[in-house]
Amino acid sequence: MEPLILAFITGLTTGGLSCLAVQGGLLAGSLAQQIEQDVRNASGTPRPARGVPGTHGRPNTALPITLFLLAKLVAYTVLGALLGLLGSFLTLSPVTRAILLLAIGVFMVGNGLRMLNVHPIFRYFVIEPPRFITRYIRRTAKQGTQLFTPLFLGALTVLIPCGVTQAMMAAALGTGSPTTGAALMFAFVLGTSPVFFLVAYLATQLGARLESYFLRFVAIAVLILGLVTVESGLNLLGSPLSVANALRSLRPAAVAAPAAPVTTLHATPASADAVTDAAAAIELRVANAGYIPEVLYAPANREVALDLVTNKTTSCARDFVIPGLKFYQLLPNTGRVTVDIPPQKSGSVLRFACSMGMYTGQIVFQ
Amino acid sequence: MVKKTYTVNDMHCTNCVMRIEGLEDSLPGMVSVSASYRKGQMTVEFDEAQLTEAQIFAAVAKLGYTVGK
Repeated sequence: MEPLILAFITGLTTGGLSCLAVQGGLLAGSLAQQIEQDVRNASGTPRPARGVPGTHGRPNTALPITLFLLAKLVAYTVLGALLGLLGSFLTLSPVTRAILLLAIGVFMVGNGLRMLNVHPIFRYFVIEPPRFITRYIRRTAKQGTQLFTPLFLGALTVLIPCGVTQAMMAAALGTGSPTTGAALMFAFVLGTSPVFFLVAYLATQLGARLESYFLRFVAIAVLILGLVTVESGLNLLGSPLSVANALRSLRPAAVAAPAAPVTTLHATPASADAVTDAAAAIELRVANAGYIPEVLYAPANREVALDLVTNKTTSCARDFVIPGLKFYQLLPNTGRVTVDIPPQKSGSVLRFACSMGMYTGQIVFQ
Repeated sequence: MVKKTYTVNDMHCTNCVMRIEGLEDSLPGMVSVSASYRKGQMTVEFDEAQLTEAQIFAAVAKLGYTVGK
């Protein structure tokens, strides 16, 4: 659920504004003009042009805009499903997923830097739709007077996604699941809808104004999201370079300091020579909010049985990955899964993460 | 008929491209407008008998962009 909520909030804040900048100025404006035209035609009396069409007392203005947004929602949800499906072919292993996440992250960071106008080179981080498509959309927006037009235009926005939407599309690809991809895009576009609705309803030049006002804010948000995605990719690779892993390795001494740090070690005699053949067992609780504890200690140079315990766990934490062992398994909602870890050298660290690289932890062998 | 390329450095995104290219529908005498966000350029083809360079610049400026040669 968390990624969906995050997608919705992204849509509501940065996505809404960014979409508005890209699609709003043209489409919502054209739509409003068309609505104004409809109203005039319906009333049969020509009215002087107004700066703000679609104001109070015109109940039918909300309908075309709603249709536009609904069509947009449906189109992007279908797109999300297709991207997720495509991603499912690409997501062969956690490593592939990690590489995809890194690529998505770099794309987002590049996009953020582009929006901040750091250097013209970053302009290559945006996908420019082919000219015949933009021309077609532009001309379609100017024609037609039926309710079909807003529906059609709404669906066509799928061809001119804004930077944040493109980033979200990349994330949908990264989910590797048509359902999750569709849900992600649905949540995101749903989030963008309120801002879009308001502006289309007011139909002013707010799109262009918001663009210059909020571009910086949007850019920074995309930049942060990009960095978070890169971090997830690094976590999923088990890289010591990720912020979470780097911070953890900076403070192992502090964590290991207690006399008996092996609180999670059970059924294992402290003196390893007592039962040399028996595997040591350590337990990791897989909770909705992450792994408890984040740092586990296990004896070196002997097999270790890692018990993964879930209890009504629904978050992505149950999609468990140990990159160093190429281990990947979707754990049951509630249950216990044991992973046999081959003997590891003393002082070595085995990192684990959820398949999205959000939740992390490590096992220290000593 | 003349074809010229100008720099337009203040485009923020691909929508700016769409806005500028929209001039081919709204300016009498304009045959085609092709803008590129990446290059920060626009190439216009227009009929000098109907349209002047100054009118094109003014139309682009009205959209909020600055044309340079």
